[in-house]
Amino acid sequence: MTALPMTRTPSRLWHDAPAFTGLALFIALTAIPLLAASLIDTRTFLDAPVWQKPLQFHLALATYIITLAFFARFLPQGMQSRRWRIYAAVVCFCIIAELVWVGGAATYGTASHFNVDDPVMGILYGLMGVFAVILTSASGTMGVAIWRNPATGLAPALHLAIALGLVLTCVLTLIAAGTLSSMAGHLVGTPVTGARLPILGWSREVGDLRVAHFFATHALHIIPIVGLLAPARSLVWAASAAYSALVAFAMWQAFQGLPFLPWLG
Amino acid sequence: MPPEDLFQIANPIAMLGWIALTFAPFAPRITDAVAALIIPMLMSVAYSALILAYWSGATGGYNSLPDVMALFTDPHIALAGWVHYLAFDLFVGAWATRRARAAGINHLLVLPHLVLIFLFGPAGFLTYYAMHWAFQMRSPAKGATP
Repeated sequence: MTALPMTRTPSRLWHDAPAFTGLALFIALTAIPLLAASLIDTRTFLDAPVWQKPLQFHLALATYIITLAFFARFLPQGMQSRRWRIYAAVVCFCIIAELVWVGGAATYGTASHFNVDDPVMGILYGLMGVFAVILTSASGTMGVAIWRNPATGLAPALHLAIALGLVLTCVLTLIAAGTLSSMAGHLVGTPVTGARLPILGWSREVGDLRVAHFFATHALHIIPIVGLLAPARSLVWAASAAYSALVAFAMWQAFQGLPFLPWLG
Repeated sequence: MPPEDLFQIANPIAMLGWIALTFAPFAPRITDAVAALIIPMLMSVAYSALILAYWSGATGGYNSLPDVMALFTDPHIALAGWVHYLAFDLFVGAWATRRARAAGINHLLVLPHLVLIFLFGPAGFLTYYAMHWAFQMRSPAKGATP
């Protein structure tokens, strides 16, 4: 069998977090058949093409764990220890389960989240909530471990920003997504035209609780960028407070039944 | 895309792979990449997409012959089944070509089996193995393990 000259991914990622790196690539590659399905499948669910949500989940979860794999270099020993490897395996299992669940629901043109009418799907929805908490906990656990690691070799502001960004992703996501899942659906209000932002899919007419979830989960990207630019830890703290306020604002706005930044169009 | 259109695209693509296998000795590595990897991979993406999109809407199943026959009354599922044949037959053809090359069997002797695999997959698989074992009995040192 001819081995195709595959482009090597950075060995640092493989070294520090082999499971997360491998799963991120696997998730990205398995989006290809979903993309192909989206080209031939004309079914819609809640006015959106059925494969849009699985594709978003593949993109989002691949981004999430490749980011965690990148930050794993600031753990005392990467993810080499037995405890980290077991934990990483559990997180990977949860991520795969979420993707199979969301993709499976799309195959059958039905709801994954908020599906409580069907008893089996109702039980799965509850179980997937637990899995979602576990996979989200990975950012918080890593954030705390990096926080405590005195030997990251990072400038103090960046060290704080990476640790705090990870912890904020965990805490804010648990709040935002937890609130979201306690509702009957992601919208507050009844859309008339169904207008939404491309790719993200946020409603342009009514409140959409997914906005807060999105910003909450991206704290692990935004706060470290602030840390790269900020000369002092105090600025990182200030930026984190402002960012948390943004998430709170997005949640409040959605509960008012208002779309996020209506002037965006 | 209507299933007929996909069918019209899938057949010539598979044919490309078979033509490559016919002339495999001229460029064995490229042939193998095309016939054992690239084309079966493309077919597998198409197959998976068809199943993801149309399986839930199809009647029938795998449990009984009438169930399987009912499955194939759905044009999209029938097309998926056909793409499955195309992909796996080509893959087996590429495997036989590679295997014969490793065992030092002349490619001209493989060609009849390739025709049979192309038309009636498993029958060609059988005849290929019959020849392969025959060669092994003639010169055990040359042949690969079965």
